[in-house]
Amino acid sequence: MSFDEVFDVIVIGAGHAGCEAASAAARLGSQTALVTLSLDMIGQMSCNPAVGGIAKGHLVREIDALGGIMGRVIDRTGIQFRLLNRSRGPAVQSPRAQADRSLYRTEMRLMLEATPNLHLRQGLVIDLITEGGHIRGVELQDTRRLRADAVVIATGTFLNGLIHTGKRTYKAGRAGEPASTELAESLKRLGFPVGRLKTGTPPRLDGRTIDWDVFEPQPADQRPVPFSFSTDDIPQPQITCYIGYTTENVHDTIRANIHESPLYSGQIKGVGPRYCPSIEDKVVKFPDKTRHQLFLEPEGHNTYEVYLNGFSTSLPSELQQELVHKIPGLDEAKIIRPGYAIEYDFVDPRELTPFLQTTRLKGLFLAGQINGTTGYEEAACQGLIAGINASMYVQEREFLRLKRDNSYIGVLIDDLISQGVDEPYRMFTSRAEHRLSLRYDTADSRLSPIGREIGLVGDSEWERFNTRRQHISNIRATLETTRFKRSDSEYQDIARLVGRDLGDSISLGQLSFYPQISASTVFKLLPASLKESSTLAELETALADLLYHGYIKNQLQSYERVNSHDAVTIPSRFNYRNIKGLSNEMVERLERNQPESFGQARKIPGLTPAAISLLLFSLRVHKTQ
Amino acid sequence: MEVSDAIVALSTPPGRSGIGLIRLSGARSLELVRNLLKDSDFSPEPRRATLKALRDPRDGQVLDQSLVTYFKAPFSFTGEDVVEISCHGSPPLLLGVVDALLFYGARTALPGEFTMRALSNGRLNLAQAEAVRDMIEAQTHAAVRQAARQLGGELSSRLQPLKDSLIEIIVPLESSLEFVEDDLPEDITRDVALKLSRLAARAQELADTFDHGRLLKEGLRVTLVGRPNVGKSSLFNKLLLSERAIVTDIPGTTRDTLNEVINIQNVPVLITDTAGVRASADAIEQLGIERTRRAVVDADLVLVVIDGSQPLTEEDRQVLDEAANNRLVIALNKSDLESFRSDSPLQKANGVKVVPVSAKTGTGLDSLRAAIMEPFSSGDFHESSFVITSARHYDLLRRTADSINSAGHSLSKRSSEEIILADLYNALRFLGEITGETTPEDVLTEIFSTFCIGK
Repeated sequence: MSFDEVFDVIVIGAGHAGCEAASAAARLGSQTALVTLSLDMIGQMSCNPAVGGIAKGHLVREIDALGGIMGRVIDRTGIQFRLLNRSRGPAVQSPRAQADRSLYRTEMRLMLEATPNLHLRQGLVIDLITEGGHIRGVELQDTRRLRADAVVIATGTFLNGLIHTGKRTYKAGRAGEPASTELAESLKRLGFPVGRLKTGTPPRLDGRTIDWDVFEPQPADQRPVPFSFSTDDIPQPQITCYIGYTTENVHDTIRANIHESPLYSGQIKGVGPRYCPSIEDKVVKFPDKTRHQLFLEPEGHNTYEVYLNGFSTSLPSELQQELVHKIPGLDEAKIIRPGYAIEYDFVDPRELTPFLQTTRLKGLFLAGQINGTTGYEEAACQGLIAGINASMYVQEREFLRLKRDNSYIGVLIDDLISQGVDEPYRMFTSRAEHRLSLRYDTADSRLSPIGREIGLVGDSEWERFNTRRQHISNIRATLETTRFKRSDSEYQDIARLVGRDLGDSISLGQLSFYPQISASTVFKLLPASLKESSTLAELETALADLLYHGYIKNQLQSYERVNSHDAVTIPSRFNYRNIKGLSNEMVERLERNQPESFGQARKIPGLTPAAISLLLFSLRVHKTQ
Repeated sequence: MEVSDAIVALSTPPGRSGIGLIRLSGARSLELVRNLLKDSDFSPEPRRATLKALRDPRDGQVLDQSLVTYFKAPFSFTGEDVVEISCHGSPPLLLGVVDALLFYGARTALPGEFTMRALSNGRLNLAQAEAVRDMIEAQTHAAVRQAARQLGGELSSRLQPLKDSLIEIIVPLESSLEFVEDDLPEDITRDVALKLSRLAARAQELADTFDHGRLLKEGLRVTLVGRPNVGKSSLFNKLLLSERAIVTDIPGTTRDTLNEVINIQNVPVLITDTAGVRASADAIEQLGIERTRRAVVDADLVLVVIDGSQPLTEEDRQVLDEAANNRLVIALNKSDLESFRSDSPLQKANGVKVVPVSAKTGTGLDSLRAAIMEPFSSGDFHESSFVITSARHYDLLRRTADSINSAGHSLSKRSSEEIILADLYNALRFLGEITGETTPEDVLTEIFSTFCIGK
């Protein structure tokens, strides 16, 4: 077997998962090839040119804390930053930013090109080269063969991609880009269980033809909150997005032409995400809604292209244009790219270990949409873990596994590998039973030490981390020790603000619980030395820690409720598969977690009460034999 | 452990009786029984009893004529193939049949194993499996009826509306948090405070039925106390309608505490008769006295027996003092005697019920039984009410109510939704521990069918 080039790790696909994977593996010291169909499309956002949002913003922060790159790229290219849920508690606040789509690509490529050990290669992978259950490399369409003992497949929607616009279908990985069919067939030949999913995208408009006055502006935040812990501020100019609505007229036309929709004509086989419905879906499922919300999102400072968010569709192009013209403010608007639906192959993620390695082929890792997820952030975090572990694999180091109780990344991977997917998986905060502990501002305390240990968090980031944590710790202490007595000058002012008597003395921490006292007010009340060295963000984290402390403790206590059988031990090679009535899913959770006692076992998330009872009974039977 | 074994067990209690029932469950059941019958063509119609001869495996001799009933999977108690063999209730015979089946390859079932298989094959849910056990352990008709209701799925069906209401509250709260950029209807979290307090009340109400349910299942403990020779043992026996204790004129004759269960208004009542209270040097008697003290402490109600035909003595007062911390009913005994005074000073004693009785003639016993039950039969509980009978269920329902109340409290403090939701998810988990879990997927499904989400 001869090879044209030899690497340690090969990453197939330069989307959000692929870029994270390649960057991580390279920075961990592995010679890494990033193979992509088109070098110009590195880091392309296929759909909504935005990063973050509830839960997704949390993922980006976690990627950044671990040493990944998405956070930095969006910070440099974001053109409208907003912090969501500002009025609510910090556990559910999350940053979101619209990006300049082409700038994002440029920035991502710059970052990759500046990464040592990382080698960009343009080419189409048509086959995997294997030997005795191990991956050995890849074969490209132009006959080149690349060698590596670890390969990460991050092909997004390209595997057997099929685009639908009205009745027209054609093979493509994305509009204007070819599909990857041979690799898809390779995977099937190797025995991987493959399914079909779908997703859609809305039309893009010519901004010059839009009547902007009709729409409601949604400006950027005054004080943009960055994604990356390494970003101090966001200097680039921000834009405004606009909010509009469809009308009954639009809905009627859609209904009259519903048979033209590939979804409703049965033409599309794949399952789409419930939370990213096409406009046809919305109109059919919620017929009583007289209008559906739309967002006009300019795609950059240097283009007039506008993304019509909320209008995902696969109706025929002419019909799309007709519909757009019925939207108030878009009467003259021209579509420059029509919307479409795309179907693609995915591999059942239950094939994967918690390290994202396939059980079928050693050294092969899968990351991103190929595992049934949707969203750039969901893909990127998998890419990061897969890239890290691919490098660990070739270096024969210990794999990295994140748990559900310390990161959303852990929740995502655990959900995927234990439950599989029925529809494209997107992260929601409600998926995390430990939501109160997984705040976006604690990503660093949870994950940076891990990132440092594996070697992805550099010296300057580590120093920033330690400084921030030190400040927060000092503030925490001060919140308790700083007290205001009736005799103090500040007391009267504060009491007036709150509107009630505050007792003989009150600590700064207790004061912060009153809704009338904002974080900035608390900041002003800090001792001078702290005020100088700390930031408002650090104070906000300290305050949030205080706020949630009691609730988290409470929650942990209820999880910890003692069961009389907790001490029953589980032998080390206990065979869960023998327990009749235990579903595969439960068996896998148990095998993966390897609990040592019944007490540990019953705390495994996702274990049903029936499964717990069956386990206990089997343990007792086992003991009597 | 090979779990696809055929398991066998004697289903009727050990000992002699007219009929004994042996039950076999597992895929090989029919095959094993064919061996037992030495009839390889035996292909019975399911659920029809067939008369067949059971044969000794060693020499083919007929052991007994039996009724064999075959239940074909999945339509059986366990969900597997089941064969039930009814034969004469002679212990050696039954043992012989079980041995023969073991010989042919069955395995002795472990305690509860049939029920466990029913659970794993989905023939029963958790609450129902518990009900099977309750049914077997039931001591009164009402308890049987209660277990039957739970077995019939009534607990689950009572909890489902609670769960549904909880999810109904969770959905808008979760949506407003997670889908903050979507065009949700105004004010979807209006009325949440009211809904929460109503829901908590419902959960607590269901939990509170345990007061009565517990009695149904565990019964009431009533301890009889009184100085020697007031007629405690006679009264005890009368309540039992049978002779149990030794009755003589010598004080201190009842040396031990005696326990017996009777049925009052369908509640099993454990009556404990105690030794006559008397300072005594006798060691055995002291032991009895110690037991007496314990029986008083453990009692739900203390029945103080006083001789109404004599004036109140110092010892009587001592007895009353000792029992002062308990719920009390005073049985004024010997109402059949001339010297009986029903208008004794006790009548005026603070709210304590005094019932004149005669252990000899049986007068006043109905009133006494009613007086014993009265403090416990608050509310309209009769046999048609559903009650919680398990301490585990009570605990979980109470925690559910507490969690919901805690959520309501957070709401009134204007806490952010994720804090309120944390308590609501706790409540869901507690409910789920009784009948089955609600996953984040379930909540998401509800959200997407309620609101149009998605940009």
